[in-house]
Amino acid sequence: MVINVYSLSIMFSVFFLLLVIELVRKNKLQERYCLLWILMSIILLVLSSTPVIIETVSAWLDIKNPPSLLFLFGLGYLILYNLATTVTVSKQSERITRLTQEIALLRQKITDMNSK
Amino acid sequence: MKILVIIPAYNEEATIKNVIQRIKLKMPQADILVVNDGSKDNTSRKAKTAGAKVIDLPYNLGIGGAMQTGYLYAKENGYDIAVQVDGDGQHDPSYIKELIEPIINNSADVVVGSRYISKTNYKSSVFRRMGMIFFSFLVSTLTNQKFKDTTSGFRAVNKEVINYFSNHYPVDYPEVDVLIRLKKRNFRIAELPVEMYKRQGGKSSITTFRSLYYMLKVSLAIIIGTLRSSEE
Repeated sequence: MVINVYSLSIMFSVFFLLLVIELVRKNKLQERYCLLWILMSIILLVLSSTPVIIETVSAWLDIKNPPSLLFLFGLGYLILYNLATTVTVSKQSERITRLTQEIALLRQKITDMNSK
Repeated sequence: MKILVIIPAYNEEATIKNVIQRIKLKMPQADILVVNDGSKDNTSRKAKTAGAKVIDLPYNLGIGGAMQTGYLYAKENGYDIAVQVDGDGQHDPSYIKELIEPIINNSADVVVGSRYISKTNYKSSVFRRMGMIFFSFLVSTLTNQKFKDTTSGFRAVNKEVINYFSNHYPVDYPEVDVLIRLKKRNFRIAELPVEMYKRQGGKSSITTFRSLYYMLKVSLAIIIGTLRSSEE
C-alpha cells in the first residue's frame, strides 16, 4: 500500500469517525455535538479518496502542492468549529450564571422559612 | 394507582387552560404537572389558575429536558404511571384512560398513542408525513417491532420506565430515539390508536428546515443508539 498524504488522511478519517461514534455510544459526547465531527470525517474521507477533486481545485487556486488544500480544509474546519464551540460555551456560561442565582435565592428562601 | 399527567409547555398560554380542564374532566383521579419550559408568555400563570401544579424552569431546556423534569418529579413523588400530554391541544385527554390500561393490567411498560394505526382525521403536510413514514420504517426495522407512529408524544409509562427516564432521556427530539433505547432494555411497548388534532393555538416550534435537520439528527441518533450496549 502506498503511504502518502492521501492514504494517511483516509486512515485518519476512518479512525476519527470510529472514535466519535464510540464516544457517543459511551455517552461521553452528545449527539447534537457529534454531527459536525461526522460531517468533517466524511468530507475528509471523500476528499482523500478522490485526489482528483483536490488536484482540480488546487489548479484553479494556483496552489503548487495539492495536499496543502487538504491541510487548508482541515485548518479552516477547525477554526470554524472552535468558533462554534465558543458560542456553545457562551450559552453554557449564561445558564450557569442563572443557576447560581437560582440556588442563592433558594437558599435565602429556606433561611427565611426556617426562621419563621 | 398514582397517576401523573405531565404537560411540557413552551408559550402555550392560548391552549393550556383548556388542556388542563379537559384532563380534569376525563381523568379526575390524575394529578397534573405543567413543566413550564421558560415560556415568555403567561403559560405559567394560566396553568396555575386552571388548577395544575406548575414547575417553572429557569430557562428553556427543550422537550427532552422538560419531560425529564416531569419524570424526575414523578419518581420523587412515587407515581406509578406518568402520561405525557402536549400543551397545544393536539392530544385528546379522553384517550388517557385507554392508554394506561395496558400498564394497569401489566401487559405493557410503555403505551404510545398512535395516529396511524387506524384511519384518523389527523392531517399534516406531505413533508411531515414522509418524514414520519421514514421514521416508522427505520425504527420498525431496527427494533423488530412494527411501529406506526414514532413521533407521537402522547405516551403513558410505568414506574420502571419513569425511573429509567429520570436518568436517561435524550435532550433533543427524544420521541423516536427513546423507542430504540426502550426496546434495547427489553421494555414492552404497546401502540394504541388515538385521534389527534391540529394544534389549537400558539405556534409550533418545528419549521421545515428544522424538520430536515431533525430527520438527519434523529436518524443518526437512532443508528448510533442501536450500537449502544444495554448498560448505559
